Amino acid sequence: MAKGFKRRGRGVSLRYAARLDDGERALVAGLMEQVRDLLTPDEPVAAQRRTGDDAFDDIVAGLGDLGVELSADSPTWPDTGQVPETARSFGERDPALERLLPAGNRADDQVAAEYRRLTEDGLRRRKIDGLERSMASLRRAAGDAVELDGEGAVAMLVALTDVRLVIGERLGLREDDDVEKLEEAAVGLEPAHPLAFALAVYEFLTWLQETLAHALLPGADQG
Amino acid sequence: MEAVSLAPVEQQSVSSDAAAEPDVPWITIVWNDPVNLMSYVTYVFQSYFGYAREKAETLMLDVHTKGRAVVSTGPREKMEIDTEALQGYGLWATFQKDE
Repeated sequence: MAKGFKRRGRGVSLRYAARLDDGERALVAGLMEQVRDLLTPDEPVAAQRRTGDDAFDDIVAGLGDLGVELSADSPTWPDTGQVPETARSFGERDPALERLLPAGNRADDQVAAEYRRLTEDGLRRRKIDGLERSMASLRRAAGDAVELDGEGAVAMLVALTDVRLVIGERLGLREDDDVEKLEEAAVGLEPAHPLAFALAVYEFLTWLQETLAHALLPGADQG
Repeated sequence: MEAVSLAPVEQQSVSSDAAAEPDVPWITIVWNDPVNLMSYVTYVFQSYFGYAREKAETLMLDVHTKGRAVVSTGPREKMEIDTEALQGYGLWATFQKDE
Protein backbone atom coordinates (compact mmCIF):
# COMPACT_ATOMS: atom_id res chain seq x y z
CA MET A 1 0.00 0.00 0.00
CA ALA A 2 1.49 3.29 -1.08
CA LYS A 3 2.17 6.02 1.44
CA GLY A 4 2.32 9.62 0.24
CA PHE A 5 5.13 12.09 0.73
CA LYS A 6 5.91 13.48 4.18
CA ARG A 7 8.61 15.76 5.52
CA ARG A 8 11.33 14.09 7.53
CA GLY A 9 14.02 15.90 9.47
CA ARG A 10 15.05 19.56 9.35
CA GLY A 11 17.66 21.82 7.80
CA VAL A 12 20.29 20.05 5.74
CA SER A 13 18.84 16.66 6.66
CA LEU A 14 15.34 17.62 5.47
CA ARG A 15 13.93 14.90 3.22
CA TYR A 16 10.63 14.16 1.52
CA ALA A 17 9.82 10.49 1.94
CA ALA A 18 7.15 8.23 0.47
CA ARG A 19 6.63 4.48 0.18
CA LEU A 20 5.84 3.08 -3.25
CA ASP A 21 6.09 -0.58 -4.16
CA ASP A 22 7.98 -1.97 -7.16
CA GLY A 23 4.99 -1.79 -9.47
CA GLU A 24 4.06 1.74 -8.46
CA ARG A 25 7.61 3.04 -8.88
CA ALA A 26 7.97 1.33 -12.26
CA LEU A 27 4.62 2.73 -13.39
CA VAL A 28 5.43 6.33 -12.45
CA ALA A 29 8.98 6.16 -13.84
CA GLY A 30 7.72 4.56 -17.04
CA LEU A 31 5.17 7.32 -17.57
CA MET A 32 7.83 9.95 -16.95
CA GLU A 33 10.01 8.25 -19.54
CA GLN A 34 7.22 8.40 -22.10
CA VAL A 35 6.64 12.10 -21.43
CA ARG A 36 10.41 12.66 -21.70
CA ASP A 37 10.28 11.02 -25.14
CA LEU A 38 7.36 13.23 -26.11
CA LEU A 39 9.41 16.30 -25.18
CA THR A 40 12.59 15.20 -26.92
CA PRO A 41 12.92 17.24 -30.13
CA ASP A 42 12.57 15.30 -33.37
CA GLU A 43 11.86 12.15 -31.43
CA PRO A 44 9.17 10.06 -33.09
CA VAL A 45 6.02 10.01 -31.00
CA ALA A 46 6.15 7.24 -28.41
CA ALA A 47 3.35 5.41 -30.20
CA GLN A 48 5.45 4.98 -33.31
CA ARG A 49 8.37 3.38 -31.51
CA ARG A 50 6.47 1.26 -29.08
CA THR A 51 4.86 -1.72 -30.67
CA GLY A 52 3.19 -2.96 -27.50
CA ASP A 53 -0.54 -2.43 -27.47
CA ASP A 54 -1.20 -2.67 -23.75
CA ALA A 55 -3.08 -0.04 -21.84
CA PHE A 56 0.11 1.29 -20.28
CA ASP A 57 1.59 2.47 -23.57
CA ASP A 58 -1.76 3.89 -24.58
CA ILE A 59 -1.84 6.30 -21.66
CA VAL A 60 0.76 8.65 -23.05
CA ALA A 61 0.70 7.65 -26.71
CA GLY A 62 -3.01 8.36 -26.98
CA LEU A 63 -6.16 6.71 -25.78
CA GLY A 64 -8.07 6.84 -29.02
CA ASP A 65 -11.84 6.86 -28.83
CA LEU A 66 -12.81 6.21 -25.24
CA GLY A 67 -16.47 6.18 -26.11
CA VAL A 68 -17.34 8.91 -23.63
CA GLU A 69 -18.57 12.42 -24.20
CA LEU A 70 -17.13 15.12 -22.03
CA SER A 71 -17.44 18.83 -22.52
CA ALA A 72 -17.77 20.31 -25.95
CA ASP A 73 -14.80 19.58 -28.16
CA SER A 74 -13.50 23.09 -27.93
CA PRO A 75 -12.76 24.37 -24.46
CA THR A 76 -14.88 27.17 -23.10
CA TRP A 77 -12.87 30.23 -22.31
CA PRO A 78 -13.81 32.86 -19.78
CA ASP A 79 -13.10 35.65 -22.27
CA THR A 80 -14.16 34.21 -25.58
CA GLY A 81 -13.67 37.48 -27.38
CA GLN A 82 -9.99 37.48 -26.58
CA VAL A 83 -9.00 33.93 -27.34
CA PRO A 84 -8.63 32.78 -30.91
CA GLU A 85 -9.84 29.34 -31.94
CA THR A 86 -6.26 28.28 -32.40
CA ALA A 87 -5.29 28.93 -28.80
CA ARG A 88 -5.25 25.25 -28.01
CA SER A 89 -3.38 23.93 -31.01
CA PHE A 90 -0.39 25.49 -32.66
CA GLY A 91 -0.09 24.06 -36.14
CA GLU A 92 -0.06 20.30 -36.35
CA ARG A 93 1.50 19.57 -33.00
CA ASP A 94 0.35 16.87 -30.66
CA PRO A 95 -2.11 18.60 -28.28
CA ALA A 96 -0.35 17.04 -25.28
CA LEU A 97 2.95 18.57 -26.36
CA GLU A 98 1.11 21.81 -26.94
CA ARG A 99 -0.18 21.67 -23.37
CA LEU A 100 3.36 21.19 -22.06
CA LEU A 101 4.68 24.01 -24.28
CA PRO A 102 1.71 26.31 -24.79
CA ALA A 103 1.59 29.50 -26.83
CA GLY A 104 2.83 32.37 -24.69
CA ASN A 105 0.58 35.00 -26.22
CA ARG A 106 -2.97 34.42 -27.36
CA ALA A 107 -3.56 37.77 -29.00
CA ASP A 108 -0.63 38.16 -31.37
CA ASP A 109 0.72 35.25 -33.43
CA GLN A 110 3.97 37.05 -34.14
CA VAL A 111 4.65 37.69 -30.46
CA ALA A 112 3.74 34.06 -29.74
CA ALA A 113 6.13 32.79 -32.41
CA GLU A 114 8.96 34.96 -31.14
CA TYR A 115 8.37 33.82 -27.56
CA ARG A 116 8.37 30.20 -28.70
CA ARG A 117 11.61 30.66 -30.60
CA LEU A 118 13.29 32.17 -27.54
CA THR A 119 11.99 29.84 -24.85
CA GLU A 120 11.01 26.47 -26.24
CA ASP A 121 14.41 24.78 -26.30
CA GLY A 122 15.10 25.80 -22.72
CA LEU A 123 11.67 24.72 -21.52
CA ARG A 124 12.05 21.33 -23.18
CA ARG A 125 15.53 20.91 -21.70
CA ARG A 126 14.43 21.77 -18.16
CA LYS A 127 11.38 19.53 -18.31
CA ILE A 128 13.45 16.65 -19.68
CA ASP A 129 16.07 17.17 -16.93
CA GLY A 130 13.41 17.14 -14.22
CA LEU A 131 11.74 14.03 -15.62
CA GLU A 132 15.06 12.20 -15.85
CA ARG A 133 16.08 13.23 -12.37
CA SER A 134 12.75 12.00 -11.00
CA MET A 135 12.95 8.70 -12.92
CA ALA A 136 16.40 8.15 -11.40
CA SER A 137 15.07 8.93 -7.89
CA LEU A 138 12.34 6.32 -8.31
CA ARG A 139 14.64 3.70 -9.80
CA ARG A 140 17.33 3.95 -7.14
CA ALA A 141 14.85 3.72 -4.25
CA ALA A 142 15.97 1.39 -1.47
CA GLY A 143 13.18 -1.09 -1.07
CA ASP A 144 9.91 0.78 -1.18
CA ALA A 145 11.33 3.95 0.37
CA VAL A 146 11.52 6.93 -2.00
CA GLU A 147 13.53 9.70 -0.38
CA LEU A 148 14.15 13.10 -1.96
CA ASP A 149 16.12 16.16 -0.95
CA GLY A 150 14.60 19.60 -1.51
CA GLU A 151 15.68 19.94 -5.15
CA GLY A 152 14.71 16.37 -5.92
CA ALA A 153 11.28 16.98 -4.37
CA VAL A 154 10.64 20.05 -6.53
CA ALA A 155 11.77 18.15 -9.64
CA MET A 156 9.40 15.30 -8.72
CA LEU A 157 6.53 17.73 -8.09
CA VAL A 158 6.95 19.32 -11.53
CA ALA A 159 7.53 15.98 -13.28
CA LEU A 160 4.29 14.63 -11.78
CA THR A 161 2.56 17.75 -13.11
CA ASP A 162 3.90 17.19 -16.62
CA VAL A 163 2.78 13.54 -16.62
CA ARG A 164 -0.68 14.49 -15.33
CA LEU A 165 -0.99 17.24 -17.96
CA VAL A 166 -0.34 14.71 -20.72
CA ILE A 167 -2.72 12.09 -19.32
CA GLY A 168 -5.32 14.80 -18.66
CA GLU A 169 -5.05 15.89 -22.28
CA ARG A 170 -5.36 12.27 -23.46
CA LEU A 171 -8.42 11.84 -21.25
CA GLY A 172 -9.94 14.97 -22.78
CA LEU A 173 -10.12 16.92 -19.53
CA ARG A 174 -11.13 20.50 -20.32
CA GLU A 175 -13.17 21.69 -17.39
CA ASP A 176 -12.97 21.28 -13.66
CA ASP A 177 -15.80 18.75 -13.38
CA ASP A 178 -14.60 16.57 -16.27
CA VAL A 179 -12.76 14.20 -13.93
CA GLU A 180 -16.03 13.55 -12.08
CA LYS A 181 -17.85 12.99 -15.36
CA LEU A 182 -15.19 10.50 -16.39
CA GLU A 183 -15.48 8.71 -13.05
CA GLU A 184 -19.20 8.33 -13.61
CA ALA A 185 -18.59 7.07 -17.15
CA ALA A 186 -16.05 4.55 -15.85
CA VAL A 187 -18.35 3.01 -13.22
CA GLY A 188 -18.84 -0.64 -14.04
CA LEU A 189 -15.95 -0.86 -16.48
CA GLU A 190 -13.43 -3.66 -16.10
CA PRO A 191 -10.28 -2.40 -14.32
CA ALA A 192 -8.27 -3.34 -17.44
CA HIS A 193 -10.45 -1.18 -19.72
CA PRO A 194 -8.19 1.56 -21.15
CA LEU A 195 -10.36 4.33 -19.73
CA ALA A 196 -10.69 2.75 -16.28
CA PHE A 197 -6.97 2.03 -16.17
CA ALA A 198 -5.90 5.49 -17.36
CA LEU A 199 -8.29 7.13 -14.90
CA ALA A 200 -7.01 5.00 -12.01
CA VAL A 201 -3.42 5.90 -12.90
CA TYR A 202 -4.32 9.59 -13.21
CA GLU A 203 -6.00 9.58 -9.81
CA PHE A 204 -3.06 7.78 -8.22
CA LEU A 205 -0.70 10.45 -9.60
CA THR A 206 -3.05 13.20 -8.40
CA TRP A 207 -3.00 11.77 -4.89
CA LEU A 208 0.78 11.37 -4.90
CA GLN A 209 1.33 14.91 -6.17
CA GLU A 210 -1.11 16.34 -3.63
CA THR A 211 0.85 14.80 -0.74
CA LEU A 212 4.12 16.20 -2.11
CA ALA A 213 2.68 19.67 -2.76
CA HIS A 214 1.39 19.83 0.81
CA ALA A 215 4.73 18.65 2.19
CA LEU A 216 6.52 21.35 0.16
CA LEU A 217 4.22 24.29 0.87
CA PRO A 218 6.17 26.87 2.86
CA GLY A 219 4.99 26.72 6.44
CA ALA A 220 3.64 23.19 6.04
CA ASP A 221 5.77 21.96 8.96
CA GLN A 222 4.14 24.44 11.30
CA GLY A 223 0.67 23.16 10.58
CA MET B 1 12.94 34.92 -38.21
CA GLU B 2 11.72 34.88 -41.74
CA ALA B 3 8.29 36.15 -40.84
CA VAL B 4 9.85 39.27 -39.38
CA SER B 5 12.12 40.04 -42.32
CA LEU B 6 9.23 39.57 -44.74
CA ALA B 7 6.87 41.81 -42.82
CA PRO B 8 5.76 44.91 -44.70
CA VAL B 9 7.48 48.11 -43.67
CA GLU B 10 4.21 49.52 -42.41
CA GLN B 11 3.71 46.59 -40.07
CA GLN B 12 7.24 46.90 -38.76
CA SER B 13 6.70 50.52 -37.92
CA VAL B 14 3.53 49.63 -36.06
CA SER B 15 5.34 47.10 -33.92
CA SER B 16 8.23 49.43 -33.19
CA ASP B 17 5.73 52.09 -32.14
CA ALA B 18 4.22 49.59 -29.78
CA ALA B 19 7.65 48.69 -28.41
CA ALA B 20 8.35 52.37 -27.80
CA GLU B 21 5.38 52.74 -25.44
CA PRO B 22 7.00 52.21 -22.09
CA ASP B 23 3.87 53.45 -20.32
CA VAL B 24 1.77 50.51 -21.44
CA PRO B 25 2.52 47.71 -18.99
CA TRP B 26 2.36 44.07 -19.85
CA ILE B 27 0.75 41.39 -17.74
CA THR B 28 1.23 37.70 -17.06
CA ILE B 29 -1.96 35.66 -16.88
CA VAL B 30 -2.51 32.19 -15.46
CA TRP B 31 -5.52 30.39 -16.91
CA ASN B 32 -7.58 27.77 -15.13
CA ASP B 33 -7.12 24.18 -16.14
CA PRO B 34 -8.67 21.00 -14.71
CA VAL B 35 -5.36 19.25 -14.04
CA ASN B 36 -3.29 21.53 -11.83
CA LEU B 37 -4.00 21.12 -8.14
CA MET B 38 -5.01 24.06 -5.96
CA SER B 39 -2.23 23.19 -3.51
CA TYR B 40 0.31 23.06 -6.33
CA VAL B 41 -0.73 26.38 -7.87
CA THR B 42 -0.47 27.98 -4.44
CA TYR B 43 2.97 26.42 -4.01
CA VAL B 44 4.14 27.81 -7.36
CA PHE B 45 2.91 31.34 -6.61
CA GLN B 46 4.65 31.26 -3.23
CA SER B 47 7.92 29.78 -4.35
CA TYR B 48 8.35 31.57 -7.70
CA PHE B 49 7.01 35.02 -6.86
CA GLY B 50 7.79 34.84 -3.15
CA TYR B 51 4.18 35.83 -2.41
CA ALA B 52 2.87 35.29 1.11
CA ARG B 53 0.55 32.31 1.60
CA GLU B 54 -2.54 34.52 1.74
CA LYS B 55 -1.78 36.37 -1.50
CA ALA B 56 -0.84 33.13 -3.26
CA GLU B 57 -4.11 31.51 -2.19
CA THR B 58 -6.17 34.53 -3.25
CA LEU B 59 -4.57 34.44 -6.71
CA MET B 60 -5.03 30.68 -6.93
CA LEU B 61 -8.73 31.02 -6.07
CA ASP B 62 -9.09 33.76 -8.70
CA VAL B 63 -7.67 31.38 -11.30
CA HIS B 64 -9.96 28.60 -10.10
CA THR B 65 -13.20 30.56 -9.84
CA LYS B 66 -12.80 33.30 -12.47
CA GLY B 67 -10.94 31.21 -15.01
CA ARG B 68 -7.84 33.39 -15.00
CA ALA B 69 -5.82 35.78 -12.89
CA VAL B 70 -3.22 38.44 -13.58
CA VAL B 71 -0.26 37.25 -11.55
CA SER B 72 2.35 39.88 -12.44
CA THR B 73 2.62 43.26 -14.18
CA GLY B 74 5.62 45.01 -15.68
CA PRO B 75 7.77 45.39 -18.78
CA ARG B 76 7.33 42.87 -21.57
CA GLU B 77 10.72 41.21 -21.02
CA LYS B 78 9.91 40.50 -17.38
CA MET B 79 6.48 39.11 -18.29
CA GLU B 80 8.12 36.78 -20.80
CA ILE B 81 10.45 35.54 -18.08
CA ASP B 82 7.52 35.00 -15.70
CA THR B 83 5.51 33.20 -18.39
CA GLU B 84 8.42 30.91 -19.22
CA ALA B 85 8.99 30.09 -15.55
CA LEU B 86 5.31 29.36 -14.90
CA GLN B 87 5.07 27.22 -18.04
CA GLY B 88 8.12 25.39 -16.72
CA TYR B 89 6.00 24.55 -13.68
CA GLY B 90 3.22 23.35 -15.99
CA LEU B 91 0.84 26.23 -15.31
CA TRP B 92 -1.09 27.57 -18.29
CA ALA B 93 0.56 31.00 -18.44
CA THR B 94 0.51 33.67 -21.14
CA PHE B 95 1.63 37.29 -21.35
CA GLN B 96 0.06 40.20 -23.16
CA LYS B 97 -0.22 43.96 -23.22
CA ASP B 98 -2.44 45.26 -20.43
CA GLU B 99 -5.42 46.57 -22.36
